[in-house]
Amino acid sequence: MRRRPPRPLRPGAPALLALAPLACGALACCARHTAPPPPGSAALPPAVRYEAHLAAGGVLPGGGVLRNPHAGDPAVAQSGAQLFVAMNCDGCHGAGGVGFTAPDLADGRWRYGGADAEVFSSIYYGRPKGMPAFGGALGTEGVWTLVTYLRSLPMPADVATESWDGK
Amino acid sequence: MSRIALLAVLVCLVAAVGRVAAGDDGQWTMPSADYSATRYSALAQITPQNARSLHPVWTFSTGVLGGHEGQPLVVGDTMYVVTPWPNVLYAFDLTREGYPLRWKYRPEVSSNAIGVSCCDTVNRGAFYADGKIIYNLLDGHTVAVDARSGRELWKTKIAELGDGETTTMAPLVVKDRVIVGAAGGEFGIYGWIKALDLKTGQTVWSARNLGPDSEVLARADTFRPPYEPGPDLGVRTWGNDSWRTGGAPVWGWLSYDPGLDLIYYGTGNASPYNAEQRPGDNKWSASLLARRPGDGALVWAYQFTPHDSWDYDATGAMILADLTVGGRPVKALVHFDKNGFAYTLDRASGRVLVAAPFAPVTWARSVDLTTGRPVLDPAKQTGLSRGKVQGICPSLEGGVSPASPAAYSPRTHLFYTATNNMCMDYAVARVTHLKGTPFVGVDSPYTPGPGGYFGTFMAWDAASGRKVWENREPFPVWSGALVTGGDVAFYGTLDGWFKTVNARTGELLSKFKVGSGVVGNPITYRAPDGRQYVAVYAGIGGDWALISGDTLAADPTDVRGPAEFLKDLARHTSQGGLVWIFGL
Repeated sequence: MRRRPPRPLRPGAPALLALAPLACGALACCARHTAPPPPGSAALPPAVRYEAHLAAGGVLPGGGVLRNPHAGDPAVAQSGAQLFVAMNCDGCHGAGGVGFTAPDLADGRWRYGGADAEVFSSIYYGRPKGMPAFGGALGTEGVWTLVTYLRSLPMPADVATESWDGK
Repeated sequence: MSRIALLAVLVCLVAAVGRVAAGDDGQWTMPSADYSATRYSALAQITPQNARSLHPVWTFSTGVLGGHEGQPLVVGDTMYVVTPWPNVLYAFDLTREGYPLRWKYRPEVSSNAIGVSCCDTVNRGAFYADGKIIYNLLDGHTVAVDARSGRELWKTKIAELGDGETTTMAPLVVKDRVIVGAAGGEFGIYGWIKALDLKTGQTVWSARNLGPDSEVLARADTFRPPYEPGPDLGVRTWGNDSWRTGGAPVWGWLSYDPGLDLIYYGTGNASPYNAEQRPGDNKWSASLLARRPGDGALVWAYQFTPHDSWDYDATGAMILADLTVGGRPVKALVHFDKNGFAYTLDRASGRVLVAAPFAPVTWARSVDLTTGRPVLDPAKQTGLSRGKVQGICPSLEGGVSPASPAAYSPRTHLFYTATNNMCMDYAVARVTHLKGTPFVGVDSPYTPGPGGYFGTFMAWDAASGRKVWENREPFPVWSGALVTGGDVAFYGTLDGWFKTVNARTGELLSKFKVGSGVVGNPITYRAPDGRQYVAVYAGIGGDWALISGDTLAADPTDVRGPAEFLKDLARHTSQGGLVWIFGL
């Protein structure tokens, strides 16, 4: 079939990856030793996979606050850009995260919340309608690396209005 | 015997031999009209003289926003419509004013399938046979529904979502076999086709499109490829054992020749897009396969694009027509490939008779008819070591989308097809195979093809490999074609026009704005009132609602900009899901 990410990679984004298998192997290894700190997991019965089911329109179950250890680190963001391709995120979310079969991640709008901890949770545990749970493959460190990359994406000045007037 | 009873017996007889040709009886019972996949109907009430008065007589919202590829069926006095995921089946009563529903069938379909679909949650339609409406659910199931009652008769799991397989194609029923396949060329699947029993849904045979001969069902006594024979081609043409994740999916259209007793279908791209991860020809990806429907045995295969390095799926329609080529009568198969060449083959042997570009082509210079192989342009080959390769035509959307099947008129002896006039640059990445996630790795920005227009609808002489006329369109054309005994042809445009043209000249006869871009395929039928109607879906999707992400409006947390190369499309259309019927 066919596929084309809708926009080219942003200038400065690293060329697509040679180290992916190595990186994935290393991360998977870490994942086995790092206890995932799921936000609010204490409040979740084991049968409930997605907290969105509990929290629709409401408040996430209580729990400790997750902090991104790499927030704002441009080197980590760059690693995240590589990971975004290596782990096939771009296959659904498009090159540069601008959306394809899966939502735009560069519009400042978030279906399941845009705080670092919420984005972490979406990647780690997956979401309904097809977002896989990448926690096992990426580990905590890998997921934070991706979160850091996503936070670094440039956003359009005006997301809400698209105008053809005068054209 | 009354005339009606006699007619009923005749209809039953025709149905019993499985050969209800559209137009003979005013029905449309198969996705592509008939086993030859002509999308031709002999109905002739609508003509170039009266087509200017065509107007909409009915419309219905399906309630679903995914891309509405495929086409309705009309069986007797009922119209059947399958929606994109969640694959609702509607049955409309054509005998009553306003065509109210007789019933609707709402299957349970996994929402996880949405995330395993490469190119929107489309469905390419249903097949009517033996009193059953048979179609695929996106999540890897085939269902048979009683055409009268809407009750589910059987449901068979045919594909594994977890392996990256989804099921978007329309089944083909031959005798007591339901032939089905799976999409997943973007997920590194191990491509296959299989046959289910029409009565029970049980799997009768299953054949791989790549891999060892024992799994491909290529047996020494039955497999006679037209070029380059040999054992285990599905393994030996894949370096690094890459066939195991090599793709070659089945998501397009199937046809059948009862005389030769062969089914024909094309396979999709090889995975991943970095061709250096899979050295060799990669047979039988991007190929045409001919099998016996009874036991699945592979009789011949021909590869349009060896070592596919541009995502040139070969899943487009395989149209069977008896043509005169070079003064000789030929049982031909005609195929418009994503790679930009239109092929006319001998459908008994698989040998190529004519291959000519129908859209701008730069990846190859020609097709060598002696070897059957394309004559490549070395500068347009892609791979990780080649970096960004520029100026490749067609783009990976194809010279035509396989989702946009062509039509053939035995009156004009012409083929009618949509085309895309687009080129691309291509830079691949090395990617990791993670089951159930994309296995792609490409950045491929598009550019308009020469001439500054993005698509056409055109008529093609497949005996000579020559374009007869074309209508240029401002946007890529992504709908299927329909042609009739009245010598009119029909198609829709991405910006939402439904158009009727003179099949001999291309002259525009009527057009109507149908509310959303058209990526479906028009059909025609004679209703219980004795009149000829034309039906078509509107509902932009497939790649286009994804590439032109600003045509999406249903999710406030997913707000996208326009495609860089096509900033205007969303000015003319948003997503939708509508069935339209036109009449005189």
